[in-house]
Amino acid sequence: MSAPKIRLEAVSKSFDASVVVEKLSLDVRDGEFLAIVGPSGCGKTTVLNMLAGLEKPSSGAMTLNGRPIEGPGAERGVMFQDYALFPWRTVRGNVEFGLVYGPAGQALSPAQRAERVERTIEMVGLKGSQDKYPHQLSGGMRQRVALARLMASEPEILLMDEPLAALDAQTRVILQDELLRIWGQDRPASERRTVVFITHAIDEAVFLADRVAVLSSHPGRLKQIVDIDLPRPRGDETRRSGAFARLSQSIWELIREEAYRATMN
Amino acid sequence: MRRTALRLIVPVLLLAAWQLLASGSATAPRPSSVVEAAVALVRDGDLLAGLATSLGRVFAGFAVAALLAIPLGIAMGSMPAVERNLDPLVETFRPIAALAILPLVILWLGSGSGAAIAIVAYAAFFPILINTISGVKRIEPSLMRAALTMGLTPLTRMRVVLLPAALPSILVGMRIGLGIAWTAIIAAELAVGAKSGSSGGIGQMMFVFYAYSIDLNGMVVCMIAVGIVAFALDRALRWALAVTVPWSRI
Amino acid sequence: MSAVLSTDGKTANGFRRLDGAFVYLRTMALFVLAWYVGSLFVPSKLLLPSPLAVAVALRDTALNGELFGNALISLARLAASVVGAAAIAVPLGLLMGRSRLWNDLLELPVEMLRPIAGIAWIPLALYLFGIGHRLPLFIMFYTAFFPLLIGTAAGAATVDKRLIAAARTMGLSSPRIMWRVIVPAALPAILVSARLAVAASWTAVVAAELVGAPNGLGYAIEYYRSMLSTPTVMAFIVTIGLLGFLTDKGLRLLSRALTPWARTGAAR
Repeated sequence: MSAPKIRLEAVSKSFDASVVVEKLSLDVRDGEFLAIVGPSGCGKTTVLNMLAGLEKPSSGAMTLNGRPIEGPGAERGVMFQDYALFPWRTVRGNVEFGLVYGPAGQALSPAQRAERVERTIEMVGLKGSQDKYPHQLSGGMRQRVALARLMASEPEILLMDEPLAALDAQTRVILQDELLRIWGQDRPASERRTVVFITHAIDEAVFLADRVAVLSSHPGRLKQIVDIDLPRPRGDETRRSGAFARLSQSIWELIREEAYRATMN
Repeated sequence: MRRTALRLIVPVLLLAAWQLLASGSATAPRPSSVVEAAVALVRDGDLLAGLATSLGRVFAGFAVAALLAIPLGIAMGSMPAVERNLDPLVETFRPIAALAILPLVILWLGSGSGAAIAIVAYAAFFPILINTISGVKRIEPSLMRAALTMGLTPLTRMRVVLLPAALPSILVGMRIGLGIAWTAIIAAELAVGAKSGSSGGIGQMMFVFYAYSIDLNGMVVCMIAVGIVAFALDRALRWALAVTVPWSRI
Repeated sequence: MSAVLSTDGKTANGFRRLDGAFVYLRTMALFVLAWYVGSLFVPSKLLLPSPLAVAVALRDTALNGELFGNALISLARLAASVVGAAAIAVPLGLLMGRSRLWNDLLELPVEMLRPIAGIAWIPLALYLFGIGHRLPLFIMFYTAFFPLLIGTAAGAATVDKRLIAAARTMGLSSPRIMWRVIVPAALPAILVSARLAVAASWTAVVAAELVGAPNGLGYAIEYYRSMLSTPTVMAFIVTIGLLGFLTDKGLRLLSRALTPWARTGAAR
């Protein structure tokens, strides 16, 4: 087995007196789709922020390709829960942002850059809306803009913080399918990008991921890693399959107690 | 139609009452005589010259205020250490009205345009500063984080994220500041005209009409002109806000 | 830019407040020091007196009662004109905010008069009232009136429709709804506009007293300027700033006490 892409060793994070993440050890393999689930208060967003380099662990080690993670970097793209679209930039302006102002697009000519931006916008199905501002778009379309912005920079690793949480149920199902298509579930595993996907929805994690890391809350600890051996490409048949239901149910049993407690405080 | 009539009732009544009240006195201005005076003042160019002088001072002082307040506001809004250390000065000087420092300014800069520009700059400075600071501080943290994860350098972040994100608030500050500046220049010209000789501008013109030529019609024309300019400045900046920040729905 | 990266702040609240006072004193001490050093290099004591001279002037005017006398007169004028303006502007604003008829009647004259700054009325007021109490009272009343009217009307017009619907389904009469739903819902907006009105009025007091009153802080500033007593002028400027700051602080506290449910905000 090859060396892990990302390795977390006994990573802890506390704010003031409260411990949010405790001694988390986790490997993320190259090209895998890893989902992290857990009830609210399990520190999953904190884990993602630490991977992005936006927060520093209080103790423990984090490495990417064997080198320690010390801050944000363009090789790790982040998709935020509230999308963080720049309201003063159009769809195109948002998608090209990282290529124009960050290091990601510096090797490209303006024409190549423009071509990639248009291609990415088309890929997420936003053709025709290039000149709209975020406030003119629906929630689902904003989510697509954020996804296009993430993909346009072609980062090695995609970090996604509950990107589908703010959507209604139907839109959510549609975008789960799209996400897998864009990620490249039809292609061989060696050509896929590494994804770390945070969610509180168990069915979503099971549907999307190769492995699901289940966290417990207060403080966030790794409870178990569940392998999802559902065949790819996945689609509606996957959602209807018995294996899907069984996997979802077994993860739910793992965190039911805590999820219930989380609703009470 | 009925609505238009309704809207006109009170203004018409006010004008009629004014005409009636004033008809007893020989010197009191009346709506009809004010119109005549306005025509005369516009025709001989005095009114426009006075307005031009005052507006020139407002724009000069306003530019000085904006050039100082916007960079300072960005620094204070983005760096907590800078804000903590400078905030006492801002909070100490902000409640001091521009007019209160007029005597000092006259002492330092005389009673000409230099003093007028300084007063305007002081008056417009604080609204622009306060709104720039709050605009920078209220930027969605996730926007700055997004730029950080895309590997932008600090300078680029400031130029392409911080500045556009704070722009609506900065423009609101400029709108408020310009309104206050216009009031301050009238007051300054009036006070200088009243106490230490000539200052020029529309404010002094009003005082001259009161104290020397005793032309109350001319005075009322000046008041109306002051109102029209204030209204036009406000509309102009509202328009600028709508044009330069089409993404904002304010 | 450290706001972007969260840090583990461990400062306790009381400690932070003490720290704030320390920073305030340090900054102001540096400012006064810079002023003092600057005054050493300015040959004319008329142009830039040292902070010590201003402190002496402050003490002298405080001891002979001049400072408090004039401050009291200006503050009384402020209170009288703002209370008077509120007594008329708030009811009118409620009517304008809730009734289309009243809004149609008053909107045009208000929009015509509002851009004419209170200060621009000074020459006409001089003609009408002469120098005395009535001129500053009129100018300050006028200056306070429009922020209060506009703020109240906006506050009353934007009351959540569902709150009024809820009260109606519970069978409240219209006057009751006005008094029990609209007024409390609009109160935060009214209080914010009251703060704006007081600040604007306090700015106008200086101009009005400077030109057209025989007493008050504005008059005192102008009087000592003509006497070329710069330290005393500065002492009165400091007083004006301090009183402006304190009235605003007082109104903030009052707002918080009257509307504990409202979230603070609204930078101006």
